[in-house]
Amino acid sequence: MQGWRTFLRQESTHSRLIGVGALTLVTLAITIILPPVANSDLAGGAAIAVVILGLSWLIGWSGQISLGNSGFMAVGAYAAGVWAHHHATTPLIFTLALATVIGGISGLIIAIPSTRLRGPYLAGLTLAFAAAVTPIAQNFTSITGGEGGIFMNSLTTPGWFGGFFHGVNASINANAQWTADLAVVVAGVAFFFMANLFHSRSGRAMRLVRDNDVAAELMGVNLSRARSSAFMVAAAYAGLGGAMYSLLEASVRPETFPLTLSITLLTLMVLGGIGTLSGAVLGGIIYSFSPDLVSWVNSLTGVNPTSNLGANMQGIIFGLLLILTMLFVPRGLVSIISPLRKLVGSLRARPPASSAAKL
Amino acid sequence: MHNIFGGIAQGVVYALVALSLVIIWQSTHVLNFAQGAMAMFATYIGMTEIDRGLGYWWCVIISVAVGMALGGLTERVLIRPLYGKPEINPIVVMVGFLGVLEALAAAIWTSTTRNIPEPFSQIFYHSQGNLVYLSPFIIFQVILALGIMLVVAALFRFTPLGLQLRASALAPEVSRLLGIRVSRMLTFGWMLSAGVGCIAAVIQASGSFGLFPTDMDGIFVAGFIAAAVGGLESPFGAVCGGLLIGLAEQFILSYWSPNVAPLGGIIILVIALMIRPQGLFTKTAGRRV
Repeated sequence: MQGWRTFLRQESTHSRLIGVGALTLVTLAITIILPPVANSDLAGGAAIAVVILGLSWLIGWSGQISLGNSGFMAVGAYAAGVWAHHHATTPLIFTLALATVIGGISGLIIAIPSTRLRGPYLAGLTLAFAAAVTPIAQNFTSITGGEGGIFMNSLTTPGWFGGFFHGVNASINANAQWTADLAVVVAGVAFFFMANLFHSRSGRAMRLVRDNDVAAELMGVNLSRARSSAFMVAAAYAGLGGAMYSLLEASVRPETFPLTLSITLLTLMVLGGIGTLSGAVLGGIIYSFSPDLVSWVNSLTGVNPTSNLGANMQGIIFGLLLILTMLFVPRGLVSIISPLRKLVGSLRARPPASSAAKL
Repeated sequence: MHNIFGGIAQGVVYALVALSLVIIWQSTHVLNFAQGAMAMFATYIGMTEIDRGLGYWWCVIISVAVGMALGGLTERVLIRPLYGKPEINPIVVMVGFLGVLEALAAAIWTSTTRNIPEPFSQIFYHSQGNLVYLSPFIIFQVILALGIMLVVAALFRFTPLGLQLRASALAPEVSRLLGIRVSRMLTFGWMLSAGVGCIAAVIQASGSFGLFPTDMDGIFVAGFIAAAVGGLESPFGAVCGGLLIGLAEQFILSYWSPNVAPLGGIIILVIALMIRPQGLFTKTAGRRV
């Protein structure tokens, strides 16, 4: 109890609230000027950013690797889908909370054997889980609807929000912006919690577990509990992101969560920067723009987008990006950007003491 | 009986993949997540030569040769820069390579299933009017796989090359002092492993499943589970694990529920790892702090 109170009183929690809140507000403001298509891309990116953040925490802070986050996404998405299909009037926040909890539980189930495993064994186990999710969803038709999947009501835009929109496509514009805003707010809340987790006692303990588990054990950290709780948090974030993603699509289908999605998630996370909030934001942004990125590469190379090569361009680009980033910029785009920011900071006449204190 | 022959036939394919994973693991301590995709890609390159009128066996030889070249190249280009880095880095790189290869294969050869003409009939034998659920193809499959395993075992045990390979995996520094080209041995280990994996992919594609860009995903997962159950350090364990997974899968399919089959492997893996986290067939080794 005492720990919780001092935690709340810490000034840095304030600053994190302000930071994440400001970013959320800026993004919300941006949704006003974006066209509907870009808004729905943004909504998807926000949902994916939540999943990436969970993965980033798992790999970057606890040092465990998961190739199964597409599976955890599917668990959350199906939890939300099954619930929303049968109880259409449930408030959204409850559906999302349910998906988060069930995603977390699935993570815990996978984590219990996993905590005894290291590196490659763990990666393989989670890969097996992700590979099993699609056939399971296809086979258990009575719950999951099989191949066809589950359809939900699309997110309804409240009347007061729709009131802001006039003109020909008022309802389309209102819907697109509302869903984008919703996704951004959910992501904002998720990011705020994670920002605190990064700097909490368990966050620091987790880094010690990653870097030197024997030292962590000597310091009184319960290794298996720390590892499995890290897994649970990552899976809960994947569940939340997956639920959000499927609510945006208004359907859940097995082929939405293929094994390649896990690769995409890993790529975005590594590309943005492992273990950082801004890396997850960057990953989400890149995901939003990935259709544009792919069509840009297609037009640059003169590949017909409807051809075989054009249709598979995304897989090729993402795979190559993952390899090249890991080989040449293993700390991600953030590591390129932060020296720039430091440079800008040093150009402004600032007393050096304050920047040192910030670290 | 149906289950036993089918299970063994599938099991030897898993065993080959598991064996190829173990070879790489022993020499470079990398778990190659692109193993299945590399084999799939090489199989495509070799087996599409059938369209040009080349015989089946020539295509197999081309596939394996391409596979080995791809394996050696991968070690030189993608893995070599990562020695000594955190163990997550090579995993991530190989996962990326997996994505590239599958997308590239779909781009070049489309994702529709391509049937490879089977070298032997898949029609089951009859004995006194009853089906025995054993076909010439299954016999070929098992004999080829066992033959490859024996060759690999003999190579490691009885040849100077095998001795050098084992030495460079066990004590790279000492081997270097004794004049073994360790880096060349690592590349060769990858080539060998890729060749073995390629045989598995060829068998798989020649059977009733056909060849498609993601055809090795499930096989790789099962092969990994087999290797993990046996312990990544033990080739013998990997082979036993492969047969175990193949048989278990068949029994779950026919006696329990096909719905559970995808989970069967995970359940076996979890149980095996709960009993012995380092695999059933490895000697316990202390981890240095």
